[in-house]
Amino acid sequence: MPKSFNNNMLSLQHISKYYQNGPNKAYVINDLSLDIEEGEFVSIMGPSGSGKSTLLNIIGMLDAPTDGYHYFIDQPVHQLKEKQRSALYKQYIGFVFQAYHLIDELTVYENIETPLIYQDIKGSERKALVADMLDRFGIVGKKDLFPSQLSGGQQQLVGVARALISKPKLLLADEPTGNLNSKQGEEIMELFRKLNKEDGVTIVQVTHSEKNAQYGSRIINLLDGRIESSITL
Amino acid sequence: MLKNYFKTAWRSIMRQKVFTMINVTGLAIGISAALVIYMIAVYDFSFDSFHPKRDKIYHVVTNFTFSGVPYKNGGVTSPLGGVIKNEIAGITEAAPFYIANDDTKITVPDGTATPLNLKKQDKVVYADARYFNIFQYKWLAGEAKTALSTPYKVVLTQKQAELYFPRLTPAQVIGRKVIYNDTVNTVVTGVVENLPGNTDFVFHDFISFSSMGVALSADQQKYNQRWDNTTSASQLFVVLDDKATVANIEAQLEKLQKKYDPNNGKDFNGTQDFKLQPLKDIHFNSEYATFNYRTANLTTLYGLLAIAAFLLVLGCINFINLTTAQAVNRAKEIGIRKTIGGNRKQIIVQFLSETFLITVFAVLVSIALVPLILKFFTGFIPEDITVGMLKETSIIIFLILLSVIVCLLSGFYPAMVLSGYKPVSVLKNQTHAGTGKTRNAWLRKSLTVTQFVIAQFFIMATILVSKQISYTLNKDLGFKQDAVLFVNTPWRENNADKKQVFVNKLKSFPQIENISIGSTPPSSAGYNTTSVKYIDGKKEIKTDLQLKNGDENYINVYKIKLLAGRNITKSDTTQMMINETYLHTLGFKKPEQAIGKFIEHGDTKDMVIGVVNDFYSASLHSPIKPLAIVPAWKYNNYVVHVALKPKTEGGGEWKKAIAQIQAAWKEVYPEYDIDYGFVDESIAKFYESEQRMSKLLAWSTGLSVFISCLGLLGLAIYTTGQRTKEIGIRKVLGSSVRQIVSLLSKELVLLVILAFVIVTPLAWWAMHKWIENFAEHTAISWWVFALGGLAMLLTAIITLSFQTVKAAMANPVKSLRSE
Repeated sequence: MPKSFNNNMLSLQHISKYYQNGPNKAYVINDLSLDIEEGEFVSIMGPSGSGKSTLLNIIGMLDAPTDGYHYFIDQPVHQLKEKQRSALYKQYIGFVFQAYHLIDELTVYENIETPLIYQDIKGSERKALVADMLDRFGIVGKKDLFPSQLSGGQQQLVGVARALISKPKLLLADEPTGNLNSKQGEEIMELFRKLNKEDGVTIVQVTHSEKNAQYGSRIINLLDGRIESSITL
Repeated sequence: MLKNYFKTAWRSIMRQKVFTMINVTGLAIGISAALVIYMIAVYDFSFDSFHPKRDKIYHVVTNFTFSGVPYKNGGVTSPLGGVIKNEIAGITEAAPFYIANDDTKITVPDGTATPLNLKKQDKVVYADARYFNIFQYKWLAGEAKTALSTPYKVVLTQKQAELYFPRLTPAQVIGRKVIYNDTVNTVVTGVVENLPGNTDFVFHDFISFSSMGVALSADQQKYNQRWDNTTSASQLFVVLDDKATVANIEAQLEKLQKKYDPNNGKDFNGTQDFKLQPLKDIHFNSEYATFNYRTANLTTLYGLLAIAAFLLVLGCINFINLTTAQAVNRAKEIGIRKTIGGNRKQIIVQFLSETFLITVFAVLVSIALVPLILKFFTGFIPEDITVGMLKETSIIIFLILLSVIVCLLSGFYPAMVLSGYKPVSVLKNQTHAGTGKTRNAWLRKSLTVTQFVIAQFFIMATILVSKQISYTLNKDLGFKQDAVLFVNTPWRENNADKKQVFVNKLKSFPQIENISIGSTPPSSAGYNTTSVKYIDGKKEIKTDLQLKNGDENYINVYKIKLLAGRNITKSDTTQMMINETYLHTLGFKKPEQAIGKFIEHGDTKDMVIGVVNDFYSASLHSPIKPLAIVPAWKYNNYVVHVALKPKTEGGGEWKKAIAQIQAAWKEVYPEYDIDYGFVDESIAKFYESEQRMSKLLAWSTGLSVFISCLGLLGLAIYTTGQRTKEIGIRKVLGSSVRQIVSLLSKELVLLVILAFVIVTPLAWWAMHKWIENFAEHTAISWWVFALGGLAMLLTAIITLSFQTVKAAMANPVKSLRSE
């Protein structure tokens, strides 16, 4: 029985994800093993269909692998029930999307506040936490605007702020700059680097951009659901 | 957290104004129907619920059978009231009272020449302390024990005392005089407060029971001492002790009756039994009647509740349909909420709060609608039901419960569907794929079909009920109904000479064609039946025979045809004309054969002198029965039947004739107000409950069709929205507007047709059940169903066209560019 190691943030061991397609199995992830330590900044790269997003979703517990062992902070995720997994996830993981995925009906303030509501944090405490975050990202003036009133870069900033509000240990980003122009993209990447270096947030990002991948401490190249190479910078 | 939910709910409601409006309207219709009907139920069930001994109070009533036909009477034979308490174990109190007839004349002398004079007064009773022991009133002056202990005393309710003596306090009213029917001179000895709350005990003048000896005619008094005479005027209420059972008391009553009236039943070929009617049954049982004239009908109440339930279900279905149809639009939001930490329970609560908000809206709209509904349905809804009832705790609790139920009913399924979305597939835009969507579509379709089944059922029922009403009103009843007036002469002044004077006056008026004196018109609500026998040599034929009294003009006024023999003449006394049904019952084939035969009833034998055609002697609910017309002068008849000449253009003659009749009346009967009516109008009154039902059905139909069409429109908006791109491509490829409209409407129209197939047998079955109430009824024609289905289909297509035509006309460049 494989075991996780204490210094690891997460450990994937012999993970597979496939769809039964008649007699054949269509593999999205194929017997992949990966350890990520606390404080790392990992960039996952690879061509379309190589399994990048699926891998990220498995790490983020949004998707479950068909086979394999998944440990997160010493917890055997593959054995946990939905409820426990959700609790674990709520506490430790933040998600940033390419399409920002803000809730259109909510203001900037409320979007950032929502994860705290789901964690049953009291109103006064929520207020303080959100105010801090708005201040830190320089979007205090935008707090009462709705997502549709913001530029793409501003929306992604809100998206990151929302992901960070519950102080996650692990930040997952699926092509966070994919919809942004290069200047906005750079700003977000700078922010990620700062979060990683100064706040010690572990980051895993999926990216197409060689340049953005360079912000990280390790680049993993995927091909056909397997790790083709892993380069520590 | 809840505040946050409501805030989000509010915003998404506002973003979807059209859908919200459809949802609120649909739910509000159902809720307001449920609310008003609940108010009616609360009102009706509140009757006489405040009497201290209400569970132990029983009304003693009489069930008869006459030759096998049951007949119920709310009264008892008068002597029973005097002996019941002493002779029957288990009765702690017994209160007999006697209701004075409903045209009592009341005079309140005030020393002037023109005292207060009230005619045609009702709710006057002869009662005493025993009544006030059972039904406890608050005494404002006088006391229950002594107030009615001797003759010529009267107790008034507060309101009545204020009417008779406007400026006096209850204490000052004591000792004042009130005169009933010019002969009963009473002194007021007590004033009681009107009963607090809804009650059927609405009497307001209580004359001491012992005054009856003077007040009633010698004949009536004689009858009132007999054990074989029952009148609904003679009432009896009892209180049982804790151990007594209804069955036991009824058994004792049976023995008691045998003791005092050993021949009971034999004299009229039937049975007579005393029964105990619980107090709480009085308001709902029209068979024994109440003292307030209006009884509630439990069947009607349940029917109304069913309608309310149907309308509510329709509203909820709309909600479920529209919400799940829109679910895809909300899917992204749900995916996001789940990825940022929301669990399923939290998301369900969020959607339920959204539903709750919409429900609360709908409830508010419903409350605002209540005054309008009450106003619109005056006549159907009892007058005492007012907007003020909305403040009652029971109504408020009902509304809260209803909101929760409606909210769960319409919100639970959509919440389950929405919260079940997997965030990964949502965020990858995969919600359209997979089986989830097709399953929803299947559910939506069944719900839509359900809606149209309900709506079409209402349409078909409405068509059939109107068809039956028009059938009954246009059916040839076997006599002339139009242009015939009947005038009831005062029975109190049943003086043959005066009647003749009145008739002679009428005869001189040019507009009057013919006049007859007799009993009721050929068709009447009540009828007079006697049992007769005919001996045809070998066997005896025993039947019930309905009797109509008429003079020599009766059949001429009503254009009843004489088939054989002769009409009644002035010299006839023991002769009768029989109808065809009786003719056939007697076994004769030809009318001539019956002439000269003798029919025995009681001690007398009547000779058949004529045979007339069959006519309906009651509403079409009952078939034609054996009937005879006997000479009017044998009995006390006080109805004058007047045939008017046909109206000419302009039609002022009838008005003139009526004015002349009224003038003649004033000369002959100056003391009385004229009481007359048209025969055809009195016949239409037989079908009042059907007319009311028809009105109610028409409304239910309108509303259910309206709600269903709202839902249909919502679905159309959704599907056309989903297919914008497809429509654009088709148009670019050369499709015409008509082709696109038919493409878009096809699926929904098919659902309406499927609903038609399902509802037709259901409706057919229900119609058969209903129409069995009529002895004579219209056919359940195929076109009733066809018309109903077609009406629904047309309405659906028109509704759909609002949306489909718009979508089909849209410029394809626009819809494709955005993709």
